[in-house]
Amino acid sequence: MSGTAATAAPGPAAAAWRAFQLQLTLYRHTWHGTVFSSVVLPLLYMISIGIGVGSYIESGATGGITYAEFIAPGLVCAVAVMMLGGDMVYPVFGGYKEWGGAYLAQRATPLRPVDILNGHLLYAVAFRPLTACTVVALVLAGFGVYTSAWAALAVPAAAAVSAAFAPWLFAWCSSLKNDAMLNAVFRFAIMPVMLFSGVFFPAEQMPGFLQPLVWASPLWHGTELARAATAGFGTALPPAAHLAYLAVLAVGGWLAARRVIVRRLSF
Amino acid sequence: MPVDENEILVRAHGLRKRYGDFEAVRGVDFEIRRGEAFGFLGANGAGKSTTMRMIGCVSEPSDGALDLFGLDPHTDGPAIRARLGVVPQDNTLDNMLTVFENLTVYAGYFGIKRRTAARRAAELLEFVQLTARSRDKVDDLSGGMQRRLAIARSLINEPDLALLDEPTTGLDPQARHLLWERLFQLKQRGVSIVLTTHYMDEAEQLCDRLVIMDEGRIIASGSPRELIDTHVTKEVVELRYGGLHTTDLADIARTLDGIGSQVEALPDRILVYTDDGDDTTAALEARDVSPTSVLARRATLEDVFLRLTGRALGEDDG
Repeated sequence: MSGTAATAAPGPAAAAWRAFQLQLTLYRHTWHGTVFSSVVLPLLYMISIGIGVGSYIESGATGGITYAEFIAPGLVCAVAVMMLGGDMVYPVFGGYKEWGGAYLAQRATPLRPVDILNGHLLYAVAFRPLTACTVVALVLAGFGVYTSAWAALAVPAAAAVSAAFAPWLFAWCSSLKNDAMLNAVFRFAIMPVMLFSGVFFPAEQMPGFLQPLVWASPLWHGTELARAATAGFGTALPPAAHLAYLAVLAVGGWLAARRVIVRRLSF
Repeated sequence: MPVDENEILVRAHGLRKRYGDFEAVRGVDFEIRRGEAFGFLGANGAGKSTTMRMIGCVSEPSDGALDLFGLDPHTDGPAIRARLGVVPQDNTLDNMLTVFENLTVYAGYFGIKRRTAARRAAELLEFVQLTARSRDKVDDLSGGMQRRLAIARSLINEPDLALLDEPTTGLDPQARHLLWERLFQLKQRGVSIVLTTHYMDEAEQLCDRLVIMDEGRIIASGSPRELIDTHVTKEVVELRYGGLHTTDLADIARTLDGIGSQVEALPDRILVYTDDGDDTTAALEARDVSPTSVLARRATLEDVFLRLTGRALGEDDG
């Protein structure tokens, strides 16, 4: 027996694509569960908060648009963050051993640690937001919350939020040694990002001492961009500044994640 | 395909691995040839798995030279791993995937086309007798089946060298025998195998050549027969004393001077090394040491290990 030419070392893009196939195959087993997060959950949010809470809110408080119109773009981005809670916490921690050890299995193949990282990110940062958030945006369209086709930009904004946030979650969950700490990831990363991002109310309403949390949150920057596209609002900062912040966070997070996975998968 | 028995697949010289102050592997030399089954035998903590991880190119040696297929693991890790088939100690199968998908997804990591992957997966499931479980989730398989699946997975890329880390640890006797059968057939197919084990019978049955490791060093090497011939007598007489304390056994052992070529008291039995079991048994009877049972048997690798390290293999290094 001998190895064939097809098994030679792959380039970074091909290798990430190979690693991504694992996530895609897993997704085929679990996609029906995602119907809840991308269809039912936004519906519930829209009915309970958008319409219910919205009926108490005058449009003057939300810049002249209805409350439902105000929250819709942020909701698309918020779903991206919620999905990271499923895609970038338990599967990352479990990849190193406890629950199957998918990364360990991949490590024994031509894939390098950085390819394993890129493959998982490709799933969490591109595939998931671009599919699920599109569905969310379409579901929300049923509530008549969009006035122009620019609203479609909420989806890439959601992907940008994922790109900025996912690698940090990956780095954190990769460095945990026991699963008791996973709760902390939800408490100190995902929850604050969800709460302090101006999705459900204008971020300026937050008390001053909490403003730094808002500025730090990738979801706030994404929501600002998505809302500008959807409702034609001006953004808090120039759009390029929001994008630049998200890009810096994405690159910094990727470097951190790469550092951790290389360490964890070198024995 | 003719197999060049002299082709050397793995060369290690002065290989060391340090973790902080602890040195897990302390300068080992070995060569693994194409077509052979090569074993690392040793107690837990002897450095077998660490050595295996260096061969598997997932662990950088701290010192020494390592060469696989003429390539350098430091720079050519992915290309080398593309030619290896690895069965890790804890399987690392994906519980969420089916048996079949575990093979095809893994094939994807090697860039094997879907159609080829599906064909090989079907053949390999046949080989490890799991065809009927193809659509089941891994969780539903027994330990032995999971290990067989891990072996099938390791062969999906038609590797030049299969690395098996303690392939039968934790399996029941029936599952072990089935696994040995498969591994034996693998050898007959010409697959080169490296395995680690702390089971003597496994090493004796499967390995053409092996090294015995202890505390990070290789303390002996050769074929199972050579090791037995070199390090112990042809036969061993085991004396057991039901109910007697370990210190009593040591006392009895001292009264056996002159019988056989060496007498060794273990916590649960006394071993008398000899080239003639019958003669020795007769001599023991004359001494009137009245054991509860006497067993004359051929010497095994376990005896070699015991002679070389002073410990039984079941005992941990700590």
